Amino acid sequence: MQRRDFFKKLGTVVAVSAVAPMMSFAADEKKPKGPNEFSYEKAVEAITDGKGAKTSSKITLKVPEIAENGAVVPVSVTVDSPMSESDYVKAIHIFATKNNNSRCLAVHLTPANGKAMIATRVKLGGTQEVAALVEMSDGTFLTASQSVKVTIGGCG
Amino acid sequence: MKTGIKIALSLALLSSLSFGGEQFAMSDSDRAMYAEMLENNPADIMVAHGEELLSDMGGDAGLAKYLGVSESELPKYIAGFPRYIEKFDMVVGLGQALQAMMHDTGKKVLKLDSSDMNDMLAYTKSIANDEPINIDVNANQHMKDAYALGQITFDTKRGGRGLSCLSCHSPDVIGTILRTQPLPDLGVNNSGGTWPAYRMTKSNLTTLQGRMQGCMKNALLAVIPLGSPDIVALEVYVTDKAKGKAIAIPGLKR
Amino acid sequence: MEKVKSLIKIKPKKYKDGEVVKVSFMVMHPMETGMRKDKKTGKIVPAEYINSVKFDYNGQVITTMNVWESLSANPVFTIYMKINGAGKLTVSFTDNTGAVNETSTKIKPKG
Ligand code: HEC
Repeated sequence: MQRRDFFKKLGTVVAVSAVAPMMSFAADEKKPKGPNEFSYEKAVEAITDGKGAKTSSKITLKVPEIAENGAVVPVSVTVDSPMSESDYVKAIHIFATKNNNSRCLAVHLTPANGKAMIATRVKLGGTQEVAALVEMSDGTFLTASQSVKVTIGGCG
Repeated sequence: MKTGIKIALSLALLSSLSFGGEQFAMSDSDRAMYAEMLENNPADIMVAHGEELLSDMGGDAGLAKYLGVSESELPKYIAGFPRYIEKFDMVVGLGQALQAMMHDTGKKVLKLDSSDMNDMLAYTKSIANDEPINIDVNANQHMKDAYALGQITFDTKRGGRGLSCLSCHSPDVIGTILRTQPLPDLGVNNSGGTWPAYRMTKSNLTTLQGRMQGCMKNALLAVIPLGSPDIVALEVYVTDKAKGKAIAIPGLKR
Repeated sequence: MEKVKSLIKIKPKKYKDGEVVKVSFMVMHPMETGMRKDKKTGKIVPAEYINSVKFDYNGQVITTMNVWESLSANPVFTIYMKINGAGKLTVSFTDNTGAVNETSTKIKPKG
């Protein structure tokens, strides 16, 4: 049962937001070594379709200023949004801007989330900015970033 | 004495002991973020797995029965480990008590260094969460002896660098910094009540005995085997330093 | 394929219908980048990372995620979810090696 449901549901709810960026990233999936090498600039351009994003205080990005350990750096992104059918956060992307593959996580939300938030932990190869890119349901993009000082890198 | 320690430490520094050094000059808000991580400690999964494994052996009730206490007394009883248990005629850590139970109930006895055992040990100790550590090092001669042996083991300098646990964990040096890491006070840090813990530098669950072995490796001391009387004695000694502190398993450590 | 250890946690533990709760999904996974050298053998450890996660609540996909190797080993994903009736929350996830896993928890609102 599961399999058919998986695709059906995936299709109806998140087809536009989730599948499209996934496909545009698929091209560089085969490179040796850094299998998913992808720069922050390229990623933002692909996701926003060249439009870019504007810095917004609606986003609360929480990362430590100094990371205890680059292998486990807590990150949370909260976006001020009613999460109603007509006005919600469609996606939150998290980037480690200087990692070989800058993309960490892309979360595709729906009004059923009730609140727009994602919390996770990332690996940081060194001191760098962590950035959030947020896609609103009206098609606009917002962004926020903060620099994290890492003494011992978490990659490699 | 004090200068002796300083020399020992600077030697240690020179020879670049690897403690997977991290930055510690954290702001309070940074500290709060890391504290929040405890809410979702990756080791919660291991603890849940440990619970499944114990339920295969009769769960909390089975364990209580095996240890000869009621289920309601079980948390307090667990908060007193390592303890002398008459039917083994030995001071044992919780892991060994579980091994004995496996043996006596005809189950496969897990090794103390296996990940299943770590998971089970973590779950079992978490039964005592919020309970104050109530180890009684004067309960009987066996505990008195174990405590004394633990102290000797803790204080005795060994290895090529002539270091003891005390060299790095004595009041004289606590808070000073070794390769970017502050030397911890094992009592204040509640080491007795916060291991097994998830180690972020290792991405795994480590027991208190395993953590102490880590210090031995880093300081180039011959490693005392898990479950041996000496390491159980060390656990007794270190746990007693945190007596009265609440048990909070799984811990989250660097 | 061996079942991957994972766990869903809901906070608060007791909740009402209509309440927005915190859902954390935790999974044991190495999240290998494919760039790390094994210290003993000196060989590159092949990439092995979760690449997608999906939250399904009573047949409705409420959240999906694309995941890359920059997440920490044994990752944790925390989101919010609005309680909308009793039933089941299923989290399914895939990794780049083709492994597919899922885990579920019961949703039981009180009052
Ligand atoms: C060369 C210095 C050094 C020596 C010798 C040493 N340790 Fe440590 N120990 C450390 C440091 C540094 C840490 C903290 C590392 C960290 O914060 O991750 C530590 C951490 C610990 C912890 C965990 C503390 C906590 O967070 O709960 C325990 C338990 C411990 N040591 C026990 C011992 C024992 C037992 C010995 C003797 C066998 C010993 N140590 C020897 C430096 C040392």
